[in-house]
Amino acid sequence: MISLRGVRKTYASPAGPIEAVAGVSVDIAEGEFVSILGPSGCGKSTLLMMLAGLENITAGSITIAGQPMVGPRRDAGLVFQDATLLPWLSALDNVLFPIKMMRLPREKYVARAEELLHSVGLGDFMEKRPRELSGGMRQRVALCRSLVHTPSIMLMDEPFSALDAITRDEMALVLLDLWARHRKTGIFITHSIREAVLLSDRVLVMTKRPAVVVADVKIPFARPRDESVQDSPEFTAIVARLRGMIEHSIKVAA
Amino acid sequence: MSATQLGDVTPVAVAPPNLERRDLSRHPALQLGLPVLFAAAVLLLWEFLCRAYAVPEVILPTPSAIYARIISAWPFLVQHAVPTGTEAAIGFLLATVLGIALAVLLSYSRWAYAALYPNVIFFQLIPKIALAPLFIVWLGIGSPSRLAFSMFIAFFPVVIATLTGLNATPPDMLRLCKALTARSWQVFLSVRFPYALPHIFSGLKIAVTFAIIGVIVGEFITAQAGLGYLILFASSQAETSLIMASIAMLCVVGLVLYGAVAGLERLILRKYGH
Repeated sequence: MISLRGVRKTYASPAGPIEAVAGVSVDIAEGEFVSILGPSGCGKSTLLMMLAGLENITAGSITIAGQPMVGPRRDAGLVFQDATLLPWLSALDNVLFPIKMMRLPREKYVARAEELLHSVGLGDFMEKRPRELSGGMRQRVALCRSLVHTPSIMLMDEPFSALDAITRDEMALVLLDLWARHRKTGIFITHSIREAVLLSDRVLVMTKRPAVVVADVKIPFARPRDESVQDSPEFTAIVARLRGMIEHSIKVAA
Repeated sequence: MSATQLGDVTPVAVAPPNLERRDLSRHPALQLGLPVLFAAAVLLLWEFLCRAYAVPEVILPTPSAIYARIISAWPFLVQHAVPTGTEAAIGFLLATVLGIALAVLLSYSRWAYAALYPNVIFFQLIPKIALAPLFIVWLGIGSPSRLAFSMFIAFFPVVIATLTGLNATPPDMLRLCKALTARSWQVFLSVRFPYALPHIFSGLKIAVTFAIIGVIVGEFITAQAGLGYLILFASSQAETSLIMASIAMLCVVGLVLYGAVAGLERLILRKYGH
């Protein structure tokens, strides 16, 4: 269980303090997949960086499995908007990069890394360098890299927003499948409503700066899911409801 | 014309793009041939003008006269090219090691950066040739003063390029390393230094030419041996064709050293280029 209690983040600036996140209190259960949905620049990323232990919390607290957050945790896997692979390493070595940085024995993880790459359809591309892979393939490598060290939490910061629309839809299904196999606690930041609904157990709607959670919506579809979920009228209804909430929150802010 | 309904798929004939017209200037034979042809044309024009206007050899010898001088003075030229080339190479290597070391220090210590970087830039602004006589005063007229000066002059481009390179790592990559609790030496060896390599090599290619300038300036002042000395000696004898022959030899030294660095760059960037 991840518990956020009154989490705030304030940055100092010449024009006085800027409040990026204002009092977020949320509980996320183990194995739950939660999307954080909101407009660009609303402090979603800041919140994720605090969950990764990469940003200090100005006020409030984050506890993971009862342990207060003090800094970077080895049991989190990170995925960014850009794949951020090392250009000189093969796909396989990029997936194994966390093992090297965590000073763990490589040979114990090679099989797992290969299996992860196979599961996202990159079995034949393990020795390829990033520049030989497409954008979607690179982001698949990044997803595998975030799972190689068997983390308990996956933190994803708009991982598909740099991809074209067709690849993006495809990647959502890759992630859906990957998550069904590994069942990590997932925190997924996005500004795509459909993506959030397709992937999540819960969707948190955030407003623009300073970020607060204005809605916490349960997504009722059974798991395992596939792309056909998107064709149901219920899916369309939830998407419409969420869109209404976001538009309302933008109007209120403006 | 039949009406197209929504959902109908109409096959569209696609004309093959015209791939036949290729840019001739990119042909490999021309890439090598064109500069050689151009240089040959300039030499021919030079030869022709010198002959047509009967320019005295002391003012401007013809390319053929310079060629003859290179042949006649060959052992002599080689004998002087060796110390010049060796000292430039050592000066360059010293500059590389010290330049990279200083850049690493500057990028890892805020204190060192704050204290030293403005001074590095300030020193960069001094026309370094003006400092050459000081090196003679401090280190004498032997090899050490030439090496020190050559290193000094070649050192700045290495520092600046390495510093730029070490800051070229994408911020998310550094965040990832931090989240994985990587040690800073690991991040340096596995991420920041390899990311910096393309930048470092562009600095090294400038530095290698600077190192040669440094040695020649040193030889001008200390005048014992080397191509710089030979140029000065020939000019005192009004032996213009020997000056030209020495300069040609200097070009060879420069090409060899630059070629070595560029070759190493190709080798390393085949792996670390991006």
